[in-house]
Amino acid sequence: MGKEECKTMLDALNKVTACYRHLVIALGSTSDSQNLREELKRTRKKAQELAVANRTKLTSLLKDKTISKEDRAEYERLWVLFSSSMEILEVDMKRSLEIGQDFPLKVPTRHLIQTGMTGSTTTVAARAMSVQNMKYEADSNIDTADLRDLQSEICQVSTMMEEMEMKVQVAPWAVEAKQEAGAELKSSMSVGNSSVGVISICEEEPKEEDGGGGSGAGFASTCAVFVFVVIVAVAVVLGYLVINMS
Amino acid sequence: MTVIFVLVLFSYSQIAFCAALIFQSVSKATCWHGDLCPLPAHHTQLISPYVPYMQAEKVLLEMQDPKKGVKSQPQRLVITTIPHAITVCALYSNSFFPMLSLARQLLNSCSGFLSSEARSFGSMLVALGYIYPLQDHKRLVIKPDASLYRFQTPYFWPTQQWPVEDTDYAIYLAKRNIRKKGILELHEQEQYNRLHKWMNHKWDFIVMQAKEQYRAAKERKKPDRVVFDCQERAYWVVHRPPVRTHTHTHTHTHTHTDSYQTCTTYTGCRLLPRVKSSVSIGALVKYCATYNSHDPFLSKCLPSNPWLTDDVTYWTLNMPNVEIPTKMRVERWTFSFGELLSDPRGRDDFRLFLKKEFSGENLAFWEGCEDLKWGTAVTMREKAEQIYKTFLARGAPRWINIDGKTMEITVSGLRHPHRYVLDAAQTHIYMLMKKVSKHTRSDAQLEQNARNRRPSLSPIILRQQELEQRAKMAASAPVDITQLCRFTTPVSHLAVYSGFTDSPSANASPSLPFVAPTPVCPSPISVALDSNSASERRAEAGEGEAERNPEARAPAGGNVLKSRMALSLRRLLKRGCSPSTMFASLSPKGQAAAGTSRIQPLCPDQPSQAPPRRTGNFFQIKVDIPPECRIYPIESEDEEEENRASSRGGVGAKEIICPWESLTPQNGTG
Repeated sequence: MGKEECKTMLDALNKVTACYRHLVIALGSTSDSQNLREELKRTRKKAQELAVANRTKLTSLLKDKTISKEDRAEYERLWVLFSSSMEILEVDMKRSLEIGQDFPLKVPTRHLIQTGMTGSTTTVAARAMSVQNMKYEADSNIDTADLRDLQSEICQVSTMMEEMEMKVQVAPWAVEAKQEAGAELKSSMSVGNSSVGVISICEEEPKEEDGGGGSGAGFASTCAVFVFVVIVAVAVVLGYLVINMS
Repeated sequence: MTVIFVLVLFSYSQIAFCAALIFQSVSKATCWHGDLCPLPAHHTQLISPYVPYMQAEKVLLEMQDPKKGVKSQPQRLVITTIPHAITVCALYSNSFFPMLSLARQLLNSCSGFLSSEARSFGSMLVALGYIYPLQDHKRLVIKPDASLYRFQTPYFWPTQQWPVEDTDYAIYLAKRNIRKKGILELHEQEQYNRLHKWMNHKWDFIVMQAKEQYRAAKERKKPDRVVFDCQERAYWVVHRPPVRTHTHTHTHTHTHTDSYQTCTTYTGCRLLPRVKSSVSIGALVKYCATYNSHDPFLSKCLPSNPWLTDDVTYWTLNMPNVEIPTKMRVERWTFSFGELLSDPRGRDDFRLFLKKEFSGENLAFWEGCEDLKWGTAVTMREKAEQIYKTFLARGAPRWINIDGKTMEITVSGLRHPHRYVLDAAQTHIYMLMKKVSKHTRSDAQLEQNARNRRPSLSPIILRQQELEQRAKMAASAPVDITQLCRFTTPVSHLAVYSGFTDSPSANASPSLPFVAPTPVCPSPISVALDSNSASERRAEAGEGEAERNPEARAPAGGNVLKSRMALSLRRLLKRGCSPSTMFASLSPKGQAAAGTSRIQPLCPDQPSQAPPRRTGNFFQIKVDIPPECRIYPIESEDEEEENRASSRGGVGAKEIICPWESLTPQNGTG
């Protein structure tokens, strides 16, 4: 049925959107590189393909007047999913354009923000493209060349969204969500284990750092006190010798 | 010996050096508060709505220069080391703080003096979110110790063109929910529930996206994951600070650009009076209905709208100090006391009325207060003193009667006079005057007025007093004034004294809207009145309407003098007759009621009737009006016709015989 197809396509679009967001967040930081720009480009293209496919499918489904009420409600829900994904994608694309313009790669004095991220985003992009390994074959001036493409693609996405609004009469606020609050916890229990370490790092930072800092200060002061005592002892010994001698 | 001395000196210098070292290390370890106390995380005063983001971003970019920029150090955590952590000292001791060039000289490994500009710039960077603290992440402050900070990635920089979306926040909270296995902090939980309620239609998407983003984040290496978590958390601390927001207006976004305005919105909302919309809309409807016919653009105005016909008669007739106010103008005065006072003509009339009541000082005081409020600041002091000397001081020539508490407050306030120092007294007097226009004042007040009056009294006044005294004693039954002050709704166009022409009895006697209490009255009045023309009678009917200067107004037609005399005589006689009920007759509604139904002839028919019945007859008032509606008579339609025939404007208005004057003696019941 069209529903399952739609759902799988939407899931794919969702995944690509999430990965794209991760990549854009890394833009302009120290993990920024040529590879990242290429990853962004390819992810974006994939996202657009998926978007177009989704749109055609959903539009055809929604325009069909013969569907039942439950089906229509379900399609409207899928439509809301789709349009929200597209909104996020559009915003991310615009931001990547802006940040990409602010942080060109091929300039003599390259200043990337030292955010502390140094790793690469290859795995994220691989996940987005659903491939095992990413191959990079882009030119060296991808950062500037890509921006022009990006601008045109943003326009395309905007027009597509406007068309969507016009053609399909769906009231997004009327859609009822199937998931209740806290639904994300149910299926994600299995993935939580490996991340516990990460959480605790983030949360325990304050305690660690405070202890480290405190101990450092204490050590320095004990050293100083010890040195002082030694010098005083030396002075006393010298004085005693002086008295003895005179 | 010299060797010994050298050795001793050397040892003492060592001791001094060690002491200095100890002091330094100890001071380094403590966090400096007091003068260098950092700003709280939610300060709003520092950040103006128009922070120059571009300049901050430029400086930030230059701070990244490996040679000249900020020196960073690695942050050591349990399992990993993350680079690019900076301390405040490193932050300030780079060459891209131009205002810090002096500070750098004074800086000596962070134990020196930090200039205030540097401090504020650093605090701004942290508060906006360009730099986030690694320890104590909830407080966005700059601490001048060894605490670490890190730069925020450009995606999370605060830029005004990218509004902070609730969808993103919901996704973040869902991700956090997954990470912390459902145990969120209190404010996060609140926000989560709120967003779940308001963004329910998108909730599927939010859950899906949160899961996907979580899985995508796990694809990265551990140190990067830690950094990413810290970054995102810092971003949301800036844009959704952990404050319990109970008072939720629609502006729940706490970006620093509009946090100043949000604060003022919240304080403003707290202070706003809460009124039901039915009440406020009702008031609006009433206002529109009342003033509709008085608006020359909404309804036809007479003689013609000058804007349309270029005929300026309307304006000349309505000039501020015209002698004869128009009927519409007079009707307007009946709407509220404020209207009367704001119209200069009305105020004049009221002033004259009060003069007759021997309470003109109230209006003078009120006017003085207004003058003080609206006058220039230079003259305030003298004005206040003048007012005090004239009205408030003991033994003042025009002493006003306000209660002791208000007097106390006013006098104590006058020690440091300001614009509104006489507000309390003014309000008191205003209310008093308002009441006067509705009721007569109490005996005591009148006596007080009498006492405070100037010693010289005109013989007319004396005679009036005599008559009042006589009438008071002769009054058969005191009429309760409160019974009489019942009002009807104002009639937009003038009341029709339909009863006036219709009821036969009205013709028989003067249609004075009096209730004649005593047998003393009827005869002279009826005699006096019978001698008059019908127009006089009609004019008399209008007398209840306003407290305009009766002497100034001449009735229409030629028999001005005659009517005047007759009127004054009548007035004097009426003084003896009429009870304070007359006051209520001043209500326009009262007139309307009287007009629309039967205006009872006053004296001849009534003496046998009980006062309540009289009042009932007279007023025919069944509808309540709010007490603000001053009782103010409106002109009769008959007079209107007359007026139209004669001169434009209010002949009837002119024909003002203040029944209050006659009522004042009888105000024992008031």
